[in-house]
Amino acid sequence: MDRVEIAGLVMSAILIVVVYLFIMKNGFPAFLYAVSNTNLVDVTRQVGRESSLFMWSRRGIDLIVQALVLLGAAVGSLALLRREE
Amino acid sequence: MMPLSHYLAFTFTLYIIGLYCLATKRNMIKLILGIEILINAANANFIVFSANWRAGYVDPLAHSIVIVSIALAGCVSAVALGIIVCAYRHYKTLDVRKLRRMRG
Amino acid sequence: MFTLPLDTLFVFAASTPIIGWILRKGGAEKLCGVYAIIGLLVSGSMVYNLFLEASKRPVTTSVCDEVYASCLRVDMLSVFMASTFIGIGLLAAVYSIKYMEGEKGIPLYYTLLLSMVGGMVGVAFAGDFFTLFVFWELMCVSSYVLVAFRKRRWESVEAGLKYLLMSAAGSASLLFGLSLIYGLAGTLNFHGLASVLKGVKPNIWLDMASLFLFAGFGIKAAVVPLHTWLPDAYSAAPAPISAILSAVVTETGVYALCRVFFTVFQPLQVQWSMVLAVLSLVTMTFGNITALLQDDLKRLLAYSSIGHIGYMLVGLAVGTQIGLTGTALHIFNHALMKGACFLCVGAFVYRVGVRRLDEIAGIGRRMPFTTIALCVSLFALTGMPPLNGFISELTLFMSSVEAGMTWLGVAIIVNSLFSSGYVLRVVKALLQRREAEGFENVKEAPLLMLTPILVMVFMIVLFGVWPDPVLEFARKAAYALLSMGR
Repeated sequence: MDRVEIAGLVMSAILIVVVYLFIMKNGFPAFLYAVSNTNLVDVTRQVGRESSLFMWSRRGIDLIVQALVLLGAAVGSLALLRREE
Repeated sequence: MMPLSHYLAFTFTLYIIGLYCLATKRNMIKLILGIEILINAANANFIVFSANWRAGYVDPLAHSIVIVSIALAGCVSAVALGIIVCAYRHYKTLDVRKLRRMRG
Repeated sequence: MFTLPLDTLFVFAASTPIIGWILRKGGAEKLCGVYAIIGLLVSGSMVYNLFLEASKRPVTTSVCDEVYASCLRVDMLSVFMASTFIGIGLLAAVYSIKYMEGEKGIPLYYTLLLSMVGGMVGVAFAGDFFTLFVFWELMCVSSYVLVAFRKRRWESVEAGLKYLLMSAAGSASLLFGLSLIYGLAGTLNFHGLASVLKGVKPNIWLDMASLFLFAGFGIKAAVVPLHTWLPDAYSAAPAPISAILSAVVTETGVYALCRVFFTVFQPLQVQWSMVLAVLSLVTMTFGNITALLQDDLKRLLAYSSIGHIGYMLVGLAVGTQIGLTGTALHIFNHALMKGACFLCVGAFVYRVGVRRLDEIAGIGRRMPFTTIALCVSLFALTGMPPLNGFISELTLFMSSVEAGMTWLGVAIIVNSLFSSGYVLRVVKALLQRREAEGFENVKEAPLLMLTPILVMVFMIVLFGVWPDPVLEFARKAAYALLSMGR
């Protein structure tokens, strides 16, 4: 453990304590500005199926673009590991 | 269930651990793991909030976001590992502090 | 499903590897670049159609009023940014047909270029925070690979690794900030957030969330404490990629900052404007003064980019309509000027192989067109009157005087004087009589590389002499941004 690691460890410990005190002092106002809660799913139902229905019907754009990011990462890995003469 | 502030302290601690890992570790692979820890802190935060809206209910919006975010983290790690392979072939070491040839 | 320009870009990006494989069997691999250029031209024309539609009211896909659905929301500012991105991407693609011809894996290069431009256009069009994040990641992942594309040289790989580490940490901080906003408001839609957070008292958790968001976007926009990846990445990337990185990728960070601070964080805007003003002053001064100390042309241009990001932040700090007009106009002008500079330096590197100031001395007599183009765009960077840099810097100065922050306006003028210091140094080195060694058979840059440079320089001069259309477009864009929550 050299000097940078020890300094980092001390600073992170101090930061964790400060953050903990901060959270205890100012409680988090969860969903203070929430608009509507018509979408919540009861845990007695099948959460997985309901979540995937929600995802495919309302969040379709994100899923398609995520597929394109996967394609981009695949093409990028091919480009980085290509064989050069 | 524990009060929200305890879960929140957990996710902030994860975030600080991720920053510590990025700032102090030397091995390049450990730096990628630091980035993964940061992203997982954010994912955990989403899930914590989704379960805390109303007792007995969860929010599927947060679940959708986390599923997409896990895939994106995988993509970033894949590209990072590709660059590390190229860097190893040039520098013959995995120590990120040896990559100091660019100055100014 | 998406708006048409995005659809086109993604279809072309996904099919470029296949076309490249077919062309390689046919022996004509260079035509892959032509396919990419066709894709960019088609999507550019569709952006024009979208412009005609969006000038009446913002175009949205799916149901944007419903606060849980991901949506795309195109208003005038989005069309302004998207047209800049596609234009610069098109010129860089034309340039890279000739520049990257010695590399293997050219279809992969064009795929990554198209997906990077597609990601940037998606960031401009996004109407929901998480949609913006996914497009942002698309742009970032493509740019990591493009910076490290020439992996035979050690500097590309080193710069690519450092860029990746800092930028991925920024994206992770961005996601953490998004989770805090989700915890406060239950939705991530721009329209929903703007209407809910309009008159709210400043909450300390909103401050924390905005801090994380600012760290995330600020790393990409190269605001001063978070800029350290920039000089390495710009100088080590291939020239067309440096041009795209400096001209538009950094501006995407500035655009995202505009979106966030003017629509989502209305209550915090008063507190943040002083912080942004100080940061813009520090960024401007640091960028221009460090550029005075550089010998390598590309690093000099990189530090000058940091200075110009400082100018753009002035408009953001001021926050009035004129300030945002100045920012939008400066985004467009800086894209043209910096893109032309980096492409010219790339032409020098292609012909001669060196880019330090002492080794490139006297090249003006051998490559006249490139040198004239570089001189014109460098003078435009300092804000000389008949060129377009002057118009945007004047708008920013006037907006800062009107808002009562005259010290920012004075800082802009002082920094223009600093920038003229290094610009005159470069011009003197280019035009001096005594040549450095090795210039015997140097010809002018090839036509395919010269054409985008001359197009950009023509536009620099044209929009300096006749700025009305672009100024009007920027004014409408600023108005659309400010009227988002209503």
